[in-house]
Formats: sequence, structure tokens, C-alpha cells
Amino acid sequence: MNPVFAQGLLDVDFGLFFWVLITFLLFLFLLSKFAWKPILNALGEREKSIRESLEAAEKAKSEAQDISLKNEKVMKEAEALSQKIRKEAQEEAEAIRADRVEKAKEEADKLLHQARNTIEQEKKQALIELRKEVSRLAVEAASRILDEELDEKRNKKIVDRYIDELN
Amino acid sequence: MKLFFRLFFLTLLITTGITAVAEANSENENRVDLIGKVVDHYYLDFKPLTTIELPRLIYDEGQFYAFRSTTALLNTSDRFVDAAYVDADPVTEEGVIKPATYQIVRTDGSSPQFDFSITSHLVYFWFAAFLVFAIFLPLATKYRKGIGKNTEPQGAFQNIFETLVVFIRDDIALQNIGPKKYRTFTPYLLTVFFFILFMNLFGLMPWGVSPTADITVTAVLALLTFSATQLFAGKDHWKHVFWFPGVPVPIKFILMPVELIGLFTKPFALCIRLFANMASGKILIFSLLGTIFIFAELFGPATAYGTSWIWVLLTLFVYLIKALVGFIQAYVFTILSALFIGLAVTEHSEEHAH
Repeated sequence: MNPVFAQGLLDVDFGLFFWVLITFLLFLFLLSKFAWKPILNALGEREKSIRESLEAAEKAKSEAQDISLKNEKVMKEAEALSQKIRKEAQEEAEAIRADRVEKAKEEADKLLHQARNTIEQEKKQALIELRKEVSRLAVEAASRILDEELDEKRNKKIVDRYIDELN
Repeated sequence: MKLFFRLFFLTLLITTGITAVAEANSENENRVDLIGKVVDHYYLDFKPLTTIELPRLIYDEGQFYAFRSTTALLNTSDRFVDAAYVDADPVTEEGVIKPATYQIVRTDGSSPQFDFSITSHLVYFWFAAFLVFAIFLPLATKYRKGIGKNTEPQGAFQNIFETLVVFIRDDIALQNIGPKKYRTFTPYLLTVFFFILFMNLFGLMPWGVSPTADITVTAVLALLTFSATQLFAGKDHWKHVFWFPGVPVPIKFILMPVELIGLFTKPFALCIRLFANMASGKILIFSLLGTIFIFAELFGPATAYGTSWIWVLLTLFVYLIKALVGFIQAYVFTILSALFIGLAVTEHSEEHAH
């Protein structure tokens, strides 16, 4: 067996070097221009659009969340407001009723008072009139007595009759 | 178990065929030119079917000489001869001079100035370049049309190659070069990766050769990475080479030659790593199969028959490893290129610890 040494294995061949260099540079240029650029651009664009879509979706989601939160808040506020209004209305109604009762009471009191006053007045009037009448009657009776003073029996009879008349 | 037996008989069948060939060969000549299977040739070897001689292009003393094949050159040129025929008479077959060493020299035995001849490695290199072009140009058209741009990638073809492209862009370029400058180098890294990958895989085809098992090819690739590194290097890169920051002045003087040598060892390592990996795989396969021939010679054909299946199984194993190595080495070359470029172009702050 003849051993074969590595002749040529580590030789750098100029012609091959030249061709490989030229070919590689040419294909690097061609591939960069016609293959890698459009592919990488397309991939970049796709990734960008996916990222943007995701971001937009996230944004829309957070917006929707915001809106629903806002709605909830508004609803709560509205409910609170309505409750407040109802309460106020109730209170007002209560106040009005109380006021009315008070007024009615006052009115009644007033009327009663007036009535009492009138009665008092009339009573006074009546008393005055009674006094007048009594004095007149007394004068009358006295005059009659004076007219017929001698007749005691008759006087007595006149007074009796007068008192009878009074009754 | 059934499968195992099937596999066993299949390998037995194959090995019988191979040992038959081995026996036939050992009768003709005892020499198997192992390195000759790995080095470059001026012909495409499709033995035993045919051998296709490649064109010879030679530049000598101000003139170009182009020949369809080495045989055509030997028979038509009076300026060049085969290196073996300078002193001896040429071997002829039916009146046609046949090439012996394919080494072309002037009639006085001296080498011509430049030999630009097409070689088998170059053909496979062109084949790889063409394949990359043929794959990615239609793919680019597809992307231009909007498939994969506005929609999801469609079909296995687009998905497979998109995955690789995205992997190189994100995990190799972006990771090692950084978000600022990776876009500049991604096309180069993509080209290098797919070229090397296809060249590596060609070595697995019947009659195929890996141009990456040739140190010239890997040297060109390493040179390109080196050029990219130096051309696009930032201020910090040169500062680190000639005036290493953050160390005392005497150390700066010691570090200068170290860093200078480091500039060149990086591409050199790139070149040797790829070449050695690819060449050794091929040599290993030939050596394993060669063991059958050696056994036939040492212990007789019976032993060679009996043990051949071991070597064939081992060869099969190495073949699968080679397929794996083809991918790994393409990846390693690309990621190291990216790393070296990244180291050179990144502007890093002065204060950081070394």
C-alpha cells in the first residue's frame, strides 16, 4: 500500500479563490437586492402590522373598559342622584304636610280663639245690656213703687208681679 | 424485532455488493487515493458512469487561453502540457492525448501566470449559489405579492425558509450585532448561511462534493467576514486593538501585538474550522469504507465479507452525523461571523470592566 499524503489538501488555489470571491460578491449583491430585501421588508412589515394590531386591540380593550367603567360610574351617580331626589321629595312632602297640619292647627286655634273672643265679647255685651236692663227695671220698679208707696200690700204685689215679669 | 432483522438483512445485502466491488478493485490496484477524493479536480467525477472535464481558462503573459476541456487543451495547444508530459511521452488513446495529472504547465515545465480554470468545487459552489437564488427569488416574489406580508406564510416551502431567515435575523444577527446595526449585516449572514448549508449538504449527495471541504472556499468566506469586520468597525474597535483602554501603559504595549494577532486568528479559525469539519467527515467515511479493503488485504476476503457490515453501519452513522454537522457548521460559521462583526461595530462605553 502506498500511503497518500495530503498534497493539495491545504493548498489555496488562486483561480478558485478568484471565482469564488467574484461569485459570492455577485450573488451577495443580487440576493440582497432581489431576495433578502423584499423578504426582510415583508417580514418587518408583517411584524409591524401584527404588533400594531395587537396594540390597537389592547387600546380598544382598555378604551372599552374605560367606557364601561365610566358608564357604571354614571349609572351609579344617576342612581345616587335619583335616590337623593326621592329622599328630598319625600322630605319636602313630609315638611309640607307637617307645615299644613301646623297651619291647620294654627287656623283652628285662631278660629277657636276668635270664637272665644266673640263669645266673651257677646257675654260682656249681654252683661252690659243686662245691667242696663236691670237698672232700668230697677228704676222702673222703684218708680212704680214710688207711685204706689202707700199700699204696702199692693207694693208687695207689684214687686212680686215685677219679678214674675222678669222671669 | 422484525424491523431489526429487516435492517440487518438489508445491510447484509448492501455490504455484499460493496465487498464484491472491493474485491474487484483490489485485484486491479491496491491503492485508494483517499485525499484525491477530497481535493479539487478539473473534472466532475461520475465514476463509473462518466467523467466530465471542465473548461480550462489560463492567463499567461498578456493573453487569455480558453479551452473546452483539459483534453482539448492538451490536443490543441502547443504552449501548455500536462505536468507529467514535460519529460515523458504523453499517454494517448486512439490518437487523443489523455490528461494525467490535470496540472497544466508551460512546455518548459514552469507554471503559467494565472490558472482560472473551472474546478469541481467551483461548479458545486455555483450550483449552491444558483440553488439559493432559485429558492429565494420565487420566495421574494411571493412576499412582494403580499403572501406572508399581509397574510400568514403559506405552504411548507415558505414556512421552512421563513423560519430559517427569521432565525438568522433574530437569533444570530440581532443577538450578536445589536438592534442598531444588525440590518446592515443580515443579508450577508443570510447569504453565507445558505451558501455554506447547501455546499455542506452537497457532500452527502451521490458523487457530490462539498466545496466547503476546500480551504480556498472557506478562506474566501473568512476573508469576507474579516473584511466586513474591519470595514464597518467602529472607533472603539481600533482603540481596543492599538491602545487598549483601562490598563496601565506598559500593558497597552504588550496587548497591542496580541490584539493585532487576534484580528487575524479570528478569520483564520473560521476558515480552518469549516474546512476541517467538512473535509474530516469525508475522509472519515472513506477511511471507514477503506477498512474493508484493508481487511481484505490483511486477513483475506472472507474476513472483509464478515466484518464489512460493521463498517457500513458505522459509515451510515457518520453519514447522519455529517448531515447534522452540515447544519451545525453553517450555523457556527454564521454565528461566529455575526459575533466578530458585532464585537467590532458595537460602540461600548469606556468605563466597562475588561
